[in-house]
Amino acid sequence: MTTDIDAKQDRHVCERCGEAYPAERLLVLHRGVRHPDDLDAGEVEAYREAYYEEERELKSFRIRALGVLVALYFGFLILFILFAS
Amino acid sequence: MIRPTQLRRVGLGVFLASLFALLSDPAAASNAAVGLAGASQDNLAVPRWLYLATGGATVGASALLASFVTDRRFIDRVHRWRRSVGFAETVSRGLGTVGRLLGLALLALLVYLGYTGPQVPTVSFAIIVTFAGLRAGYTMFTYLVTDTWRVLNPWRTLTSLFPNGFVEYPQRLGRWPAVAGILVLVWVETAVGVTRQPSVLASVLVAYTFVTVVGAVAVGVDVWFDRVDPVSVFLQFYGRVAPIRVDDGGISVRLPGMRLVTDDDVTDIADVAVAVVLVWELTFSGFVTTEQGASVVSAVVDAGVPPLVVYAVVYLGGFAAFLGLYLLAARVTARRIETFETPRALAVTFAPSLLAIAAGYHLAHYFGFFVSLSPMLVGALSSPLSPPANPIVLTLPAWFGGLNVVFVLVGHLLAVWVAHSQAYRAFPSRLQAVRSQFPFVAVMILYTILSLWLISLPTASPPFL
Repeated sequence: MTTDIDAKQDRHVCERCGEAYPAERLLVLHRGVRHPDDLDAGEVEAYREAYYEEERELKSFRIRALGVLVALYFGFLILFILFAS
Repeated sequence: MIRPTQLRRVGLGVFLASLFALLSDPAAASNAAVGLAGASQDNLAVPRWLYLATGGATVGASALLASFVTDRRFIDRVHRWRRSVGFAETVSRGLGTVGRLLGLALLALLVYLGYTGPQVPTVSFAIIVTFAGLRAGYTMFTYLVTDTWRVLNPWRTLTSLFPNGFVEYPQRLGRWPAVAGILVLVWVETAVGVTRQPSVLASVLVAYTFVTVVGAVAVGVDVWFDRVDPVSVFLQFYGRVAPIRVDDGGISVRLPGMRLVTDDDVTDIADVAVAVVLVWELTFSGFVTTEQGASVVSAVVDAGVPPLVVYAVVYLGGFAAFLGLYLLAARVTARRIETFETPRALAVTFAPSLLAIAAGYHLAHYFGFFVSLSPMLVGALSSPLSPPANPIVLTLPAWFGGLNVVFVLVGHLLAVWVAHSQAYRAFPSRLQAVRSQFPFVAVMILYTILSLWLISLPTASPPFL
């Protein structure tokens, strides 16, 4: 995939495939997803940690998304009650 | 604690409720096929803004629902599912020969009957087969079932007979010539009267044949039909949505649209432009054939601007706006999430989902048209040389208008899922994969609202053309 070579941020480069990421955590996740059979014990542990941390963030995202869906549902319900005839 | 299954159930409820609300909406949609008007318009029981907002919200809500699916293995299983059947080489060779002969015979008949047949569009073999057959029916077959144009294409068969490939094709042009070609063909369809006069259509076919033969012999058959020939590129891109693919070895079946995720056929901005042009040409022909579009054009012409200039500005300007909006979404995504991906690479990654949208729009624009003209098409194909005295046109029941809304939405829902799967392939972080889609989903919502609006307007024939 094409990446921005001139980026000024830190580059965390995957030593297996050369893919670069702006954050260590993203590189850890990349290793776990793209090279799962090729990790040492430390990398597996790091991946597990990053995965569960992300799981927590995802959970908070899901709750917010659910809030939006509920708001959409009731919002449209009310709009239809008011305007549809 | 809220479990994902519960969330999914609630989400499904919201989705079904909004879909139901949309379907029970009697906003009569109208077919926007160029040159054939005549749809009726009921009174709206739901105000139009609410109908449009509901459509937009359905796409947005389904994107949120898709974001609940974070299991990579599940997403992978969905787009990798496939069944294959092989068949003997003699069978595929036989089918190929039959297809090639059929294509050649069809082209010959189209040109011959275009000049010699009756010059009335409703009984003309050339007009019926080109527009009801190829433009509507065959294109639907291409994205709903399978792409067979590579075999059927009479120009490919014709040019393969000659020695070819004398000039090196400049690689940096990519598929831009095809983008220009598709724009020109749609322009010819709208403005030159090929939908009304069979002899003009036949002349256009002869000119097209000439250009194609010269071009294909110059740069080589494979390069020409892969990059330059507008009809081939048009059908090839639509064909990527199709569940079935037939090649020399046999048939492989995938879930609809899932080749868009795995095949990585879109490689540069020119390919993105092809996908956008497929969405845009339908939106454009939808726009100019509505009463509102026609009155806008008339108003501007009354102010002293030549009609063709108005059309050209709307046509090219609208295409530029559609493409610009999509590229803007890519730029916003690249800025919003931590990544070294360039906006260009992101635009390319998400572009295949546009093809699912285009297929939905095409179905919405042409399905009713195709069904109502199908007796005429069958008549023309079964007896090409004796035009019918009384062409039969089916009258469509009112609920067909509702189908158009469903087609537009289903196209968008498929696109949302394709984008979701693409994001999971592109990003190692699941949260990034979710957040990367939002700007694209916003653009999709805009497209949805625009085309739901267009199909809810009464049709008119475009003025000054």
